[in-house]
Amino acid sequence: MKTVFVRQELCVGCRHCEIACAIEHSLNKDLFLAIHEKKPSKPRIHIETVDNYQTFPNRCRHCDPAPCMQVCPTGALYRDDITGSVLVNYGRCIGCAVCAMACPFGIIEFQQVYQLDTEREVNAKCDDCIQRQKEGKIPACAEACKTGALEFGDANDLIRTSRTDFTTKLIRSQGTDVTVPTIPEHISAYKAVMEKIASL
Amino acid sequence: MCDPKTMRKEAEKRSLDKLDQEMNVKAMQEGVETAWDRLSLQQPQCGFGQLGVCCNNCTMGPCRIDPYGGKPTHGVCGASVDTIVARNLLDDLCVGASAHSDHGREVVEVLQETAEGTAPGYQIVDKEKLYSLAAEYGIQTEGRKQEEIAKDLTVGMLAEYGSIKNRLQLSERAPVPTKEIWKKYGIVPRGIDREIVEALHRIHMGVDADYVNILLHAMRTALADGWGGSMIATECSDILFGTPKPVSSWVNLGTLSTDKINVVLHGHNPLLSEMIVHAAEDPGLKKYAEEKGAKGINLVGMCCTGNELLMRSGIPIAGNVLDQELAIATGAVEAMIVDYQCIYPSIPATAGCYHTKVVTTSKKAKIPGTVYMEFNPENAIDIAKDIIRLAIDNYPNRNADRVRIPGKPMKLMAGFSEEAICTALGGTYKPLIDAIVAGSIKGVVGIVGCNNPRIKHDYGHVTLAKELIKRNILVVETGCAAIACGKAGLLLPEAADLAGDGLKSVCNLLGIPPVLHMGSCVDNSRILVMAAKIANELGVGIGDLPLGGAAPEWYSQKAVSIGTYFVASGVYTVLGIPPKIFGSQNVLSLLADGLKGITNSSFAVEPDPVKAADLLEAEIERKRKALNI
Repeated sequence: MKTVFVRQELCVGCRHCEIACAIEHSLNKDLFLAIHEKKPSKPRIHIETVDNYQTFPNRCRHCDPAPCMQVCPTGALYRDDITGSVLVNYGRCIGCAVCAMACPFGIIEFQQVYQLDTEREVNAKCDDCIQRQKEGKIPACAEACKTGALEFGDANDLIRTSRTDFTTKLIRSQGTDVTVPTIPEHISAYKAVMEKIASL
Repeated sequence: MCDPKTMRKEAEKRSLDKLDQEMNVKAMQEGVETAWDRLSLQQPQCGFGQLGVCCNNCTMGPCRIDPYGGKPTHGVCGASVDTIVARNLLDDLCVGASAHSDHGREVVEVLQETAEGTAPGYQIVDKEKLYSLAAEYGIQTEGRKQEEIAKDLTVGMLAEYGSIKNRLQLSERAPVPTKEIWKKYGIVPRGIDREIVEALHRIHMGVDADYVNILLHAMRTALADGWGGSMIATECSDILFGTPKPVSSWVNLGTLSTDKINVVLHGHNPLLSEMIVHAAEDPGLKKYAEEKGAKGINLVGMCCTGNELLMRSGIPIAGNVLDQELAIATGAVEAMIVDYQCIYPSIPATAGCYHTKVVTTSKKAKIPGTVYMEFNPENAIDIAKDIIRLAIDNYPNRNADRVRIPGKPMKLMAGFSEEAICTALGGTYKPLIDAIVAGSIKGVVGIVGCNNPRIKHDYGHVTLAKELIKRNILVVETGCAAIACGKAGLLLPEAADLAGDGLKSVCNLLGIPPVLHMGSCVDNSRILVMAAKIANELGVGIGDLPLGGAAPEWYSQKAVSIGTYFVASGVYTVLGIPPKIFGSQNVLSLLADGLKGITNSSFAVEPDPVKAADLLEAEIERKRKALNI
């Protein structure tokens, strides 16, 4: 299955993913026009912060089975056969918010969408950029991320890379000369300073 | 956050001083937004920016570099992360140096106008300093009127802003070994505005791309501030308003009065605040205040202009930079008068929650939502009187039910100009040098700089000062740091009880506090002068002396300049907040390590004030060892 894999330690809280998501889901799909739209598009990926320096990009995990799908009374939530993404039929959403209560990650938010004529707010969660995927592109958030914190690909492949990196680091001391991506020393030093400020 | 217990806990997290905590609670209770609230809303703050790897200089960008070594590795123009980080640092430094130097320029211009007779209200107060500066500048004083001497001096100083003179007279005060280092590395400051303009040129896309070259010029630009713009500001302010002598006064929000007109003088330039002090002495205004039901006019300072008034006239000081919203939240401030620098643009909104009026006075520093009363030296006294009248008129609008003055003011001693310290030592630095050689005083550390809501208000300054004096290290302070320690009772001779035995005995002997308030942020130049004099007596460079510097809670671009000119002059400086350089290993290494081989000093980053004290103590030991003491 394909997923946007999150590497929290690489997130710098720049929120490019949020902006890219909001723009992608706006009517005009253009930054300068999107900010003036009547129904402002808000991001469906959320950067959460702890202690003013630890950041985590939180978005829909497109679960299977999906708790949100299980509780939806109108069947507004459905699954795409090809990608497995959990999608919302805005027209069927009655805004009861039980999906939001059921979501273990708290990523469902309600907003007005240009696709409906009404002013009411509906479940406007991450749709895995299903349109972009159909065009052979990757989700907007992953494309916007310049640090590798969000990477789109086959879940097992991405997990495998992380696992290999971890294992290689573990057995480095045995004299292997394979290099793996590590957090550069100056960045670790910075994070240590930020941790200290948070702990004071 | 509705319940009192949560508010109190939050207030205790925000500020160290009990009175500040009290006002934090009041602000929360009354729904008044503060810098702390806005800091929360800003989270997460962008890591590209924090690491200095965001370049927003040209419209091919904005660009950012992946901090983890992936792509993108260069900006559109090809700038590397080292180039981007170095340029950004230089940019911030320029803004800070400009603030100091432009402030200095205004003081020189007013001195000039005073000499020409076009600035009534101002006068030459310290004739001795005028004459000694004239001598330094090679100006004839024999048989000449002081106005003529002053005119020549100001011309000589103004010439140092541009490219005509290409040398800064006051930088000659530095000891020869220090000047030799500057010469060797091509960083002798030439002109105050010149270095800044050249820096901005270098920052332009496609100019300086060599991080070492950029940082060397950054040092030169900072030196043109410390030994140039700032020093000129200090010296000319001394000529116009007097060189500070030890003085007793009061500090913290308790200096606000329940039954007098409270006027808070906030900002930087004494050109304005000194005139307000003069104007407030007018018997007519005093009577007017009484007519409005007040017992008098209560002038209190805030931030550097507050420090200037405190140092020269003993005017009480209500707080430092993070106090500006809290002071208004007492509900007792009729007017906050500001000129420039460190004024939060939020204060008209804060004032709007109460009867307080914010008065802006500088053409360069207008803030929407304030009352603008343009101040100029030609009509200084009249405008100052109008400003006070505005405050008095506002007194009947004070709502006694919304007033809470959170406690009693703390006593402090200030006024320790370099001249005053020398006088206190008996007219020579020998007693201090002897104490340092004997080891009863291990060394001297200057704690300077601002507040930053990212660090508990005043905690960094007070904790570091207490640690250092415990270890027999004499502390000198300026700016918000000095105000912080004042609130904590450290600027008193009695505070010597908290010091180690060696420092304690020296302080008790001389009747001085273990922490000496040396003035405003431009008065960091006083520390440079003191260091130069001591170094000259010993025949060494400033970089050989057992000195250290610290800015535990800095926020401003001015602090980048100050930290850099101290390091460039040979003083190891510890910063409590990380500068935006961690995105480049090379820049970080040069500033934290490589500089040691150049100036025998460097920067260090340590938010924990106790660990910062460890670092400073170790550095002082290192320099003592090298001096064989």
